Amino acid sequence: MIKARIVDIKRMAIHDGDGIRTTVFFKGCSLKCVWCHNPESIGFKTQLSYIKKKCIGCGECVKVCESGAHIIENGNHVFHREKCTGCGKCEEVCLGEALKLYGKEMAVSELMPILLEDKDFYENSGGGVTLSGGECLMQADFCTELLKELKNNQIHTAVDTCGFVSREAIDKVMPYTDIFLYDVKAFDETVHIKCTGQSNKIILENLRYIDRCGKKIEIRIPYVPDYNSVEIEEIARFLSGLKNVTKVKVLPYHNYAGSKYEALGMENTLPEKIPDKEVIDKVEKLMRVVGL
Amino acid sequence: MKLGAFETNRKELEKQFEQINWIVQDGVDETALITAYEKLLQDMAGKPKALIKAKTFELILTKAPIAIDKKDIFQDKLLGAKIMQKQRADWEKEVQDTYLQEEYKEQSEAWNEFGAYQGISDFGHTSPNSRLLLYVGITGIIERVEKAASREKLTDNQRVFYESCRIVWSAMQVFIVRLADAIEPYNLKNSRALRNIAAGAPGNIYEAMQLLIVYFFLHEYIAGTRVRTLGRLDVLLYPFYKEDIKSGTFTHEEVKEMLRYFLHKFWTAKVDYDLPFALGGIDADGNEVTNDMSYLIVETYNELNIHSPKIHIRVSDKTPKDFQKMVLRCIRGGNSSFVFVNDDIGIKTLMRVGIEEKDARDYVPIGCYEPAVWGVEVGCTGNGGVNLTKAVELVVTNGIDLRTGKSVGIETGKIESYEAFVEAVKKQISYMTERAMDYIRKIEGYYKEINPDPILSSMYDHSVEEGVDVYEGGAKYNNSSLYFYSIASLVDSMAAVKRLVFDGKMLSFEELCQIIKNNWKDQEKLRLIARKLPEKYGNNNELADELAKDISEFIAELNLNHPNGRGGVFKPALFSIDFCFFAGKRTMATPDGRLAGEPLSKNLCASTAMDRNGITALINSVTKMDHSKFPTGSVLDIVLHPSAVSGEDGLEAFYGIIRTYFNRGGFAMHGNVFDASTLKKAQENPEQYTNLQVRVCGWNAYFVNLSKEEQDAFIAQAENAV
Ligand code: SF4
Ligand code: SF4
Repeated sequence: MIKARIVDIKRMAIHDGDGIRTTVFFKGCSLKCVWCHNPESIGFKTQLSYIKKKCIGCGECVKVCESGAHIIENGNHVFHREKCTGCGKCEEVCLGEALKLYGKEMAVSELMPILLEDKDFYENSGGGVTLSGGECLMQADFCTELLKELKNNQIHTAVDTCGFVSREAIDKVMPYTDIFLYDVKAFDETVHIKCTGQSNKIILENLRYIDRCGKKIEIRIPYVPDYNSVEIEEIARFLSGLKNVTKVKVLPYHNYAGSKYEALGMENTLPEKIPDKEVIDKVEKLMRVVGL
Repeated sequence: MKLGAFETNRKELEKQFEQINWIVQDGVDETALITAYEKLLQDMAGKPKALIKAKTFELILTKAPIAIDKKDIFQDKLLGAKIMQKQRADWEKEVQDTYLQEEYKEQSEAWNEFGAYQGISDFGHTSPNSRLLLYVGITGIIERVEKAASREKLTDNQRVFYESCRIVWSAMQVFIVRLADAIEPYNLKNSRALRNIAAGAPGNIYEAMQLLIVYFFLHEYIAGTRVRTLGRLDVLLYPFYKEDIKSGTFTHEEVKEMLRYFLHKFWTAKVDYDLPFALGGIDADGNEVTNDMSYLIVETYNELNIHSPKIHIRVSDKTPKDFQKMVLRCIRGGNSSFVFVNDDIGIKTLMRVGIEEKDARDYVPIGCYEPAVWGVEVGCTGNGGVNLTKAVELVVTNGIDLRTGKSVGIETGKIESYEAFVEAVKKQISYMTERAMDYIRKIEGYYKEINPDPILSSMYDHSVEEGVDVYEGGAKYNNSSLYFYSIASLVDSMAAVKRLVFDGKMLSFEELCQIIKNNWKDQEKLRLIARKLPEKYGNNNELADELAKDISEFIAELNLNHPNGRGGVFKPALFSIDFCFFAGKRTMATPDGRLAGEPLSKNLCASTAMDRNGITALINSVTKMDHSKFPTGSVLDIVLHPSAVSGEDGLEAFYGIIRTYFNRGGFAMHGNVFDASTLKKAQENPEQYTNLQVRVCGWNAYFVNLSKEEQDAFIAQAENAV
């Protein structure tokens, strides 16, 4: 049975599509956006997050870790990330709730009971299940299987994608996907590369393709000053040429995620500047003007 | 009706209950009034209490100083000098001293010192038939009394009953005319309205509101009965509204202006625990009642930005969604004085105690969340309660209150297995419940001596027909209640005992007892393990949820439908109101890792911050219990972050939460929308947040006025919000 690496399952998600939803975050992303506020979902490998200030030095982790990644030195706890194999044993015993494992392997049969628990919440609010990430479509076979199962249970499905995936992956999930939540970060290729490390050619092509197939699409534009802020008009013009866009959401960038980078031992790439409320209002107005 | 006058005069109206210019008539000032009352007591010594009470009421209404508010369009003020409140307290004391000295001492110690259980008399939770008042008026009520009294072969008791009913309502007529005379030079319309309601049924919506106000303030402020609901306000006022608009008596705008004065009056009066009324839901025939008045009331109330009276929204499957969303929008905007209640369960739960379906359909939530039939049942929904979590302490100590060292429970002996532990917990719960019920039954036998209530009784058809006071069992349904609270703290503690001691074998039960007695001293690691256990109520965890279900069924067996002391039955409730703080202070450490004195879990909520999987999982857990077995009600409070309910999507999600809770069999839900950071700021800079309101339990309070401990509990809950 195939399994996927899952970062997290968020129940009662309100902003990942319509209604009350449960969102499944997949591990691993095909892009690397500088402003990413879910650093735990960038890498494909399992990662242990360690929040130093929560650690109470109880030493429980030392007892269970077989690779010696946790040690107590002079009464203080020290974590040697390089030794960690991501088995997850220490998370279970950590008394300070300082440790959290991102990237548990889960099968469809393990996910489904959790996703079904809130079925009536979905029904009563016009919600459902959203697959997100990371880039969930990097594990497209698994997604297809999961989506199929969700549809068998009459659950509304959304796939949140950055679009930097193969056409094949999109084709696989398309029949079982009710709506795509599609990120558009830049129109200009060089800007896109600067922001995400990759060209946006495939992304825009995939978007046109999905649109041609007649699938519903909700567009999400992260708005990051000094990065993609100059792109907004171009993006708007491009979007106005699509037929099946049901909603455009402008997501103002925030920089709350810094502590997550630290807890994961990753380099913090977050831009400092956050957008003003007025600017966001203006952008939203612009989208309305072009009929979005 | 001068439109806009309310806004102009609002500031002054706000002071109307603080600065009162009493009009002393015939030299009867406060002192003279008290002297006259004392004389009355002497003259009537040995007479039936009902008669003494009626005469006292009459004395005050006909003689005491009155006051008028020239800026107001409704009049109500009378100086009662708390005479009747004191009268009832004296009579209750007399009964306690004479018949129930030991019993009373036991109850007050069990509550005030041990925070364990409490049975008390309850004259504060009623649901008078305000509909009768408006549709037949005072004169109509008197006529009905007269008619019943004209039967042949009345007993002495009945004669006294009818006589006292006549006295109180006639006294009201006199009082209303006194008000009319006093206001006449300043407001002829108001004066005329007053004269009309003294002489007959209200003829229009203005008179209807005036009568409701007079009645309420007389009953609650003078006669000293907590009214605790005005009934179904949209049902009450709509017929008048429709007629007045049709006949052109008033315009829609004029009615709205009246409503401003009307609602604002209760806010200004700062009615204790906030006076509720209900909107929406089905009527006796099963038809949805939501009407233009329902919308207008919510709209006006929200525009006034007041938080009392509080509003219960009854929701049936026919209640319009746009009406519900309108209310949700108010909650989202910061008005937390609304509670949603589920008609399906409200009706089903009342039918469980033998209430006929057509009666059950006409329930109103009284007080905080307690359903009782409007004008047909005397619900007495405040007879005290049982601290479920205390049972664990009592098993640990073998029946001793740890804080005081005094004996409170029973001896449950040495615990050798988990099954024995569960048995022992149940025995302690059962003991506490029995003690409380025993006292309630006994004191109920003396209600007639403590609080005969001719005003209330004449508003209950059955009581009038039988000629029996409602507090003597004269209503069609005469029920009592008991709150069972802190179920989450209890369940988490039981699960911890299972996991740590009997399954996990980390330590023996005796060792755990010692640790509990020492308040987890030097056992921080173990305490954190206990807190970290996944078996916590509110997370859709099987063990915890099964325990909650088992305990709730057990409580129902102990209390539901057991006879009370006045011809009715007990109706249990699953909520805590603010007892979770009071009793928490008196409850020692618990196996779930809670420290001595910390608050216990509130209402149906999880223990503080222990609902780790969000609201949907919490609701999954909570609705595994059968809420219909708790006819005095149950409530789940949820806290949502403003971002979770922003926009139309957010509102739809909010609606979805409530709808799902109800579909799954939940009874009442109360939502607060705020974020933890705002609350923290308010805690630090109270002077900047004097207006921030939160719903404590069944009533609202200014956040900055809460104790540090209560504030912390709110912050913890908000930090856990989605
Ligand atoms: S996840 Fe496993 S290997 Fe990594 S630190 Fe924890 S116990 Fe050690
Ligand atoms: S188990 Fe957690 S709290 Fe204890 S030392 Fe390890 S990281 Fe710190």
